[in-house]
Amino acid sequence: MSVENKNCCSPETGEPTATRAAAPMWIIVVTLVLLFTGGLFLDSHSGWFDKNVYAPYQSSAQLETFQPKSGAAAAMARGKSVYEGVCGICHGSDGAGKPGQFPALAGSEWVTAKGCNRLAHIPLAGVAGAIQVGGKDWNLNMAAMGAALPDEDVAAVLTYIRSSWGNKAEAVTADDVKKVRAEIGKSPQPYSGAQLKAMPE
Amino acid sequence: MKTGFSVFLAAFVALGASWFGLVYCPLKQLGVATETKVLQSDAKWPLQRTGDATLGLQVYRSAGCAACHTEQVRQTGAANVLTITEIGSHQPADLKAFIASLASSVTELMNSSNAVAANLAGWNGELPKVLYSGDDDTVVSMLGDKLKAVGVKTEARVVATGADIARGWGTRQSVAADYLYDAPVQLGNLRAGPDLSTIGVRAPDLNWQLQHLYAPRSLVKNSTMPAFRFLFSVQKKAEGKDSADALVLPKEFAPTDGYEVVPTAEAKQLAAYLVSLKNNAPLYEAPFSPITAAK
Amino acid sequence: MNPTENKTICSSEIDASCRVPLLALFGGAALWLVLGLALGLAAVMTFHKPDMFADCAFLTFGRAQTAANDLLLYGFAIPAALGVMLWIFARLSQAPLALPIVPVVAANLWHLGVFIGTATILSGGSTGHPWLEYPRAAAVLLFAAFMLIAVCAVATMGSRTNGELYPSHWFFFAALLWFAWSYGSANIFLQSHQQPRGVVQAVIDWWLTNNLLFVWLALAGIGIAFYFLPKIAGKPLASRGYALFGLLTLVFFGSWVGIPQSAPVPAWLPTVSAYAGLLSLVSIVAIAIVTKKTVCGACVKCSGGPFCFIKFGMLSFVVSSLLYISEFCPRYSRVLEFTWFNFGVTQWQLLGFAGMILCGAIYEILPRVMGKELPFAKLAKVNFFLFAGGTLLFVIPLLIGGVEQGKALNNSAIPFADASGVALKFLRISTTGQLLVLLGALCLLLNILVMTLQWKLGLVKTVVGVVKDSLAEGSAYQPLPCDKEAKP
Repeated sequence: MSVENKNCCSPETGEPTATRAAAPMWIIVVTLVLLFTGGLFLDSHSGWFDKNVYAPYQSSAQLETFQPKSGAAAAMARGKSVYEGVCGICHGSDGAGKPGQFPALAGSEWVTAKGCNRLAHIPLAGVAGAIQVGGKDWNLNMAAMGAALPDEDVAAVLTYIRSSWGNKAEAVTADDVKKVRAEIGKSPQPYSGAQLKAMPE
Repeated sequence: MKTGFSVFLAAFVALGASWFGLVYCPLKQLGVATETKVLQSDAKWPLQRTGDATLGLQVYRSAGCAACHTEQVRQTGAANVLTITEIGSHQPADLKAFIASLASSVTELMNSSNAVAANLAGWNGELPKVLYSGDDDTVVSMLGDKLKAVGVKTEARVVATGADIARGWGTRQSVAADYLYDAPVQLGNLRAGPDLSTIGVRAPDLNWQLQHLYAPRSLVKNSTMPAFRFLFSVQKKAEGKDSADALVLPKEFAPTDGYEVVPTAEAKQLAAYLVSLKNNAPLYEAPFSPITAAK
Repeated sequence: MNPTENKTICSSEIDASCRVPLLALFGGAALWLVLGLALGLAAVMTFHKPDMFADCAFLTFGRAQTAANDLLLYGFAIPAALGVMLWIFARLSQAPLALPIVPVVAANLWHLGVFIGTATILSGGSTGHPWLEYPRAAAVLLFAAFMLIAVCAVATMGSRTNGELYPSHWFFFAALLWFAWSYGSANIFLQSHQQPRGVVQAVIDWWLTNNLLFVWLALAGIGIAFYFLPKIAGKPLASRGYALFGLLTLVFFGSWVGIPQSAPVPAWLPTVSAYAGLLSLVSIVAIAIVTKKTVCGACVKCSGGPFCFIKFGMLSFVVSSLLYISEFCPRYSRVLEFTWFNFGVTQWQLLGFAGMILCGAIYEILPRVMGKELPFAKLAKVNFFLFAGGTLLFVIPLLIGGVEQGKALNNSAIPFADASGVALKFLRISTTGQLLVLLGALCLLLNILVMTLQWKLGLVKTVVGVVKDSLAEGSAYQPLPCDKEAKP
């Protein structure tokens, strides 16, 4: 069988070859620089692989600040901010107090009591004289730190301390606080532990 | 041959790494997702489609609608917005001064004092008035509380921002949870036509959808959407009367006298699917304050 | 002459061994190219005359455009590239194609798969996943055909006598691995009965699209270009190390690009893609430098011949890849997403880069393999200008129109109808370009068809001649005389 076997068109120049030079240094340096700068971008924008963080949010903390606050969440947030500003200075932002100076609110039976009547009297009138908190005896004065605050704020901060740091108790409403305020009048005397114990829970 | 084997190995590792990162990890993170809850509610998300709407997704796929329409809304940011709704007995000028004094005295508000002042410049008391719109939620809550203490009613909201949102194509961006029950997911790549994620909210009327499929230019002038006439059948009117399904069309698009246009089952399914597209519930990962009926 | 006895094999013998497989692959590819471009034209008519195919379900935009896209990739680009790869493997191994029947079977299986896939899409059975619309049967056929061709390629490599590998070998090894793994894996996930729920389907689809349209086409196209450019230019390839660097950065970084920036997926996915896109720039720069160094100062002028095709193709690679990566830069993606820009870039990758390189390679290979000149050599030159001019006219208005459309979409004050209408006047110019490209494809198809017919007719004449001779003289079989030997 004969077949036309002209190797036509351009003259056959053989198979191609390649020079042996290596890739230049500058391009490797550029790659490393890009790896680093890109890594910074990855660090700031990836939300650290959190499945709830979608662009344009950059972190779960940022996502939290954009959650709409209403109802219980709002009360907690507000209570927290009032607490940090008024009560936390003495009782600690972790509710642990200071031994010998300020009783702990975390685990305090006054805070976690079922009813909030006794508890509401404390910020509105203050405490003076002997009082037992968590098995320890205290005999120091507390000013009526909540007397100047509106009812909602007092209710919010009491709700906050009743459900933080392991405490689990029902929320306090502004109406509860209003009733107590009406009861104790304009300039009440601070209460002692015994007087508080005499009140209904 | 050693370099050949090494190169092949390198390519193997590269493809393996990319497969691991872009196929396996998303499968583990997103592929095992289950239903989630609507923000501040017990309602489940996403809603399961029923009946014709489920079949409609297959008609959507078969006709290739995703070639021109997207089903994803984009968002470029979010804002915590504080709006004054009632000023009670105060005068606008007094209120402006009060707010300015607050902004300069309270530490958390100092950074935003310029923004707030800019918003209030030239305010004559018209309500509602946006007082602050930005990133900081503590500013919103603190300012709101302080104003409430003096009898000024405010409303704090979280809104999503972006061109798609401003066009009314959605109230927040699309997230993975929205597509949980879509098989296949029809995200789309080109917006030759508008985005459809909330078309069920913008055009909830089944008849509108059917008419738009049959004769797009009868409802949207200069539309370049092809007419999907093959989804309908032109049939003779029975005893000269319209059947219940027949489309009501303007003169230029209506068939000859004595004939009517009736949608096929596929057209009805597609319309039901489109009307079921309502991706506008707030979620944890795409939060916004839903607009409540009354305040 | 027994090939195993003689160490040097004629190039013509190698070429002849590739004849039938390559004709099967190239012929089908050219046919699908013409069909794909024609379908694409029919599809885009909806933007000029929306009611043109209103009563015809087969030609509605959603189906016709999808089918056209798939025809360009699966019908034309991949089989043509595989054919060129096989020939290059044979030439570089200095051995005839091993198991020549295998790629012929594979070609038939492949074209059958494409046919089934296209018919299914046009009749409404597409799977709904972009670039993976072929039904299960078609996907299986394509995968099987690919594996057969890979087997043939490996077998051809096995009969190698010379030692060192050439850079194109590396690119092709990677390409053979790439398609098999990514296409196989994506189809297993997306076509199985228990496909993953929700947006993960889109993520897998984006991964595959990137790995086929960007990485695979680059591996195949660059491998082919790095073979032909030095050969035609008469110079060695600029450097092995550089080419290796380009390859490694392409496979390591390029494979992670692909997740759109506004995708409804957690932020880490698009961020990783953006990061990878930035790093892929290095690969493109490296490949561009190697190409430039190889091409500049070449001994030959191209004048519309294969050299022109391949140079244009490599230039298209650089530009289209840069544009592709810009879509994944967060700053630009906001404007470029959901516009005609992405379509324009894809067409540039498919037609401007892969199409041009493959066309040039086919014009370079076919005459050698068939043993005769191109029947319409002038048409081949016209083909170049039609393709080059047509592609630019097709793609550039789409890119500009896309940017304008994106800016208008981002301005919520502009009503949507006006925003999308911004692109319409650009589409008119772009459709003209599409028509030119179709005419160019017809030139290619014509050349291949006539060559095949001539060969078939020649076969008939030869058989008749042999019968006559043997009846007349009873002469022995005349062996193939060797040409001037190719320089080793």
